[in-house]
Amino acid sequence: MSATLSAPARTRRRSRQIRIRWTMFGFVVPALIVYLAMVIVPSLQSIQLSFTNWDGIADDYDYVGFANYTDMLTSGRFWNAVKNTLLLGIGSAIIINVISLGMALLLDRLVHLQGLFRTAVYLPALVSAFIVATIWKYLLNYNFGFVNTFLRDVGVPDAARDWLGDSDIVVWVILFIVCFTLGGNTTLIYLANLQSVPQELLEAARIDGAGKVQVFLNVTWPMIAGGVTINVTLALIAGWTIFDQVMVLTSGGPGFVSETMAFFIYKVGFGEYRAGFGSAAAVVLFLVVLISSAATNGYMRKREIQA
Amino acid sequence: MRIAMTRPGARRALAVVATAGIAALTLAGCSGTADADGSAGDKTTIRFLYATGDETWNSAVDAIVTAFNEQSETTEVSLDPLPAGSDYATAMKTMDATGNWPAIVDMRDTVTYINAGKLAPIPTEVTELLSDDAYGAAEDGNVYTVPYSALNGELGMNIVYNKDYFEENGLEVPETYDEFIALLEAIKANGDEPLATAAGEVWPSDQLWKPLAAPYFAEYSDEGGFWNAVVEGTASVEDLREPLQELLDITNEYVLTGWQSTADAQTTTLLVNGQAVMATSSAGLGRLNDINKVNPDFNAGMFIIPAEDGTINVLKNSVTGDTAGGLAISAQAQEDGAEYDSAVEFLDYFYSVDGANILEAQGWLAPNIKNADQVTHNTSIPGSEDFFGLLENPKLKWYQNDSSSAAFSAFNTFFRQTRIEMQDGQITLDEAIEKAQTEFDKTVDSAS
Repeated sequence: MSATLSAPARTRRRSRQIRIRWTMFGFVVPALIVYLAMVIVPSLQSIQLSFTNWDGIADDYDYVGFANYTDMLTSGRFWNAVKNTLLLGIGSAIIINVISLGMALLLDRLVHLQGLFRTAVYLPALVSAFIVATIWKYLLNYNFGFVNTFLRDVGVPDAARDWLGDSDIVVWVILFIVCFTLGGNTTLIYLANLQSVPQELLEAARIDGAGKVQVFLNVTWPMIAGGVTINVTLALIAGWTIFDQVMVLTSGGPGFVSETMAFFIYKVGFGEYRAGFGSAAAVVLFLVVLISSAATNGYMRKREIQA
Repeated sequence: MRIAMTRPGARRALAVVATAGIAALTLAGCSGTADADGSAGDKTTIRFLYATGDETWNSAVDAIVTAFNEQSETTEVSLDPLPAGSDYATAMKTMDATGNWPAIVDMRDTVTYINAGKLAPIPTEVTELLSDDAYGAAEDGNVYTVPYSALNGELGMNIVYNKDYFEENGLEVPETYDEFIALLEAIKANGDEPLATAAGEVWPSDQLWKPLAAPYFAEYSDEGGFWNAVVEGTASVEDLREPLQELLDITNEYVLTGWQSTADAQTTTLLVNGQAVMATSSAGLGRLNDINKVNPDFNAGMFIIPAEDGTINVLKNSVTGDTAGGLAISAQAQEDGAEYDSAVEFLDYFYSVDGANILEAQGWLAPNIKNADQVTHNTSIPGSEDFFGLLENPKLKWYQNDSSSAAFSAFNTFFRQTRIEMQDGQITLDEAIEKAQTEFDKTVDSAS
């Protein structure tokens, strides 16, 4: 089509496109400036600070080379935080996605009271993680909490545990609460995907004699592959950066046992006056989030194509 | 045109943007400053940041600020309470990072902030209201903090107990460490829980540790304190093996289950509910006042864990040490001018006889002011005779243990968490000692 246009027309069209692009860019500029000033520049500054011994308060600091990175990588506390982060990130991504997909399948087939059940499933996602964690903290209190009181009242006092103080289970308890908080959004995305699966494909498969499981595996599952990619990626990112729940429920304790990388960065950077060290940990977390999310996304996309 | 969100390219773009955004925000977490101030109407409004958690202190602050606001024609003080359970040091650092300093701050880690120029000197107009030994000048000759309470050091770090239970079971307040262990054993033999303590917020773990370590710290009092001796190489964390072992044994044998997640304020409830016969405390008279508010019929008493020879060692930090708390005026308020004047006006009232009487009426021990003879002390709180009795006890021995390193606060937080790890059985005593010594060498020693 464009080949048929005259040269002046092509020039006019081109200049108009350039004008539109500049106008669009003009709309973006204010947000871009704020984003650069508030996120990108401080982020780059963190890389610089990671090579210093800045305490986060004083105006001056010294460059210490890679000392912060060496200290961090030889610290058992750091590796414990990495282990917890991986457990919470991968664990929550798997659990949330499996349960949410199951919930979405159930909600998709509901005939009556759809709105009520959808609201009930989504409700926890509407409350901030901080508030949800605070409520759970009260529920799980060893001496006064509802959970232990209930267990004692129904005659199984031995099942009562110090849910937030027992170092053997505390990370798993946090994992449960994280899944509880984040499940609503994931379910909603799956539900939207399920409802966009063409009915004629499902009916064709059934007419061809496919059972429920076969229909799901061979028709539904490939059709919602995109939703799986988005949900897994978002759940992983949320898991890597878990902070609120740890802050409220355990403050990283007992001892250091439930610290995550995000909490570790906050604790050393802000609470222990080691902003240089905290910045080094932030750089490492940045790389972990970037690499793991890119790898997961790449793998999931490949799976989508195969599906 | 419809936005095709299911296209692989769009999904990838969304995922990449989300990833980059989260990662960048993570990186941005450790930097950034901004400015803020406030004044409203005819009066200058200033903020007063303080740590809550101790109900007596909360009510004392509320009462004196209300009284001040009613009589001041130029200043309105608004309360900026930090909720119980928050990490105060972290909150202060966050406040500094946002450049949002209140005019008056209930300080922690004072030396760090003085060195960074974040505090303003307190004028003689305020300090001359106080007893001469109630405040001290920093290295530059200026006074940066003034006390918010009477200078009784860590006399408030003690054990509160159920007096009726003691009487019913023929138990006595222990006069030696061995008697304390025998007391714990006797309560346990009765089938009751001897001691409630808390580590849910990390810092209350000091409440059991410090009295046990006090005899060992006290040995270094005349030599500049234990932690300075560790820096000089004349002492080490290994020297604390014995009190650490005592801490571990008491935790394993006599402490109420669930201490790891118990908050400081909950130990009052555990005591009053009869779930434990004794509870650790660091609020002194304030804790007795809290107990009285929760249950006026509860017969509470108070004692300090004695040393093996019966000495009651109590820390009395110098008024200028890094760990010394106190009220300070921020440098940000000084830059504003009007806020600084308002802060000074408030402190003048805080250290007046009227101010001291308001604090005492709430059960708070007013700071040592020059006109102390005109202040009416509150002795109506049940159990307060035990607290004031400690001050008269001939076995009371004050000791000092200030670290001269501004990096000590960071180590102290780490040491608390390491002790909790040990008490919880995650690491052994040997590992705790080694871990603490390594961290001390890395942070405090190298900084010194």
